[in-house]
Amino acid sequence: MIQHIDVHAVLQESVPGGGVYGDLVTRPTGRVVREQIERAIATAAVARVDFTGVGCIDYSCADEIVAKLLRERPAVLVLSGISDAHREAIEPVLAGHGLAALIEGPGGALETLGAPEAAAVLLEELVARRLAARTPGGTFALTLA
Amino acid sequence: MTRLVDVPAQFDDRSFDQFAGAFAEAAKDGGRLLFDAHAAEWASPYGLVGLLVAGQAGRGGGGGGGGGGGGGGSTGTEKPLLTAPTQAEVLTYWARAGFFREAADLFEVHGRVPKLKAQDESDVLLPVTPVRAAEDVHAVVSKIQQRASAILASELGLDPKATMGFAMALSEACQNIVEHAGTGGWVAVQRYHWRQKLGRRVVVIAVADAGVGFRHSLEPTQSKRFGARWGDAAALEAALIQGVSRFRDPGRGQGLAGIRRYLARWDGKIAIRSGTARIAIVPKWDDDVPLKDGLPPFPGAQVLIIIPEPESTRK
Repeated sequence: MIQHIDVHAVLQESVPGGGVYGDLVTRPTGRVVREQIERAIATAAVARVDFTGVGCIDYSCADEIVAKLLRERPAVLVLSGISDAHREAIEPVLAGHGLAALIEGPGGALETLGAPEAAAVLLEELVARRLAARTPGGTFALTLA
Repeated sequence: MTRLVDVPAQFDDRSFDQFAGAFAEAAKDGGRLLFDAHAAEWASPYGLVGLLVAGQAGRGGGGGGGGGGGGGGSTGTEKPLLTAPTQAEVLTYWARAGFFREAADLFEVHGRVPKLKAQDESDVLLPVTPVRAAEDVHAVVSKIQQRASAILASELGLDPKATMGFAMALSEACQNIVEHAGTGGWVAVQRYHWRQKLGRRVVVIAVADAGVGFRHSLEPTQSKRFGARWGDAAALEAALIQGVSRFRDPGRGQGLAGIRRYLARWDGKIAIRSGTARIAIVPKWDDDVPLKDGLPPFPGAQVLIIIPEPESTRK
């Protein structure tokens, strides 16, 4: 089973002013949101972390949330609802750490973001664990609903 | 005894060192400071937030000034004096840019200050806005996205990705105050023509604080590494070029590194002044120098970020 995390909702609930602002900016905000996500996915094997509705992500939050979650690996993380602007912040942060993340597109296709070597390892591991499989179209997709 | 600090008639990053020198000289004797801006003809956002920093540091005691650059507090809790510009259009512009709203708490202002609210109008994308905590950064980012994104894309011809990166850069620049300064500061965003001879429109972010400065912030972790070279210039080099942070967390230092990446992509400029030094990443279209040391001391840190319109959209 995949644990679904609505990051925008987490932001709204956990940060003072989060109900007003829809952006993931500042380290303190990132820390609070990450801690909430960690609690929510503590027992999950796979977590879909959905950024739909989140406006701007700055580098500090990309590091504090995405990079730290990937480093600590409480579960297999799949990012969804990622806009081009989100990528602009997340990609260099991951590359700087030698990390990679899985991005799930609207049709369910998986792609990787971040350091290429880490991305290759990540996809191999997912396939080996039967959490993802190659689709007839040649892309990868999660095998779990 | 009151000490005079002249505010340059054209007050921007180029004339800032002249202002800082006058401020350092006047502040060292401990008298009450009088900032004389009566002859001011123009001030950039950098000049306006820098003047607020001087007012905060010049108040002494409560200002938190001094730190990185020396020239700070002087006179206990007495507010410094400020003679407002005499030209009506200059006064109006300073008011619209939100300067007097913030200055009222820092200075005893003399002059006919118009009763205008800070306005979001065509050139002032973000009026002078205080930054003291993470919540302030949220407010700034939210406001700039609502206000500036459309203008940046439609009028300055920036790629939509550049406008989103602009909010990230702004956020990171403001966070430097919250995380490192040890006191509050100010941010302002404006667009204008960058030096008529170049004929380029630009968007400028100016961020300034009267906090501890880069040297003080990085000293515990970096001074040994630099040895005899350690000082304001080395601290700025460590922060901007090498991406080091005072925090040992390996993810730290992302902010300035991210701003650099963003500016490299969109042909922008960043300059940071702290203490007695100033460092800049200089694009081809500008003639600034990469590093200056031995400047007049000035409290805290002042950051200038400039994003030009692309060559292809120049009108």
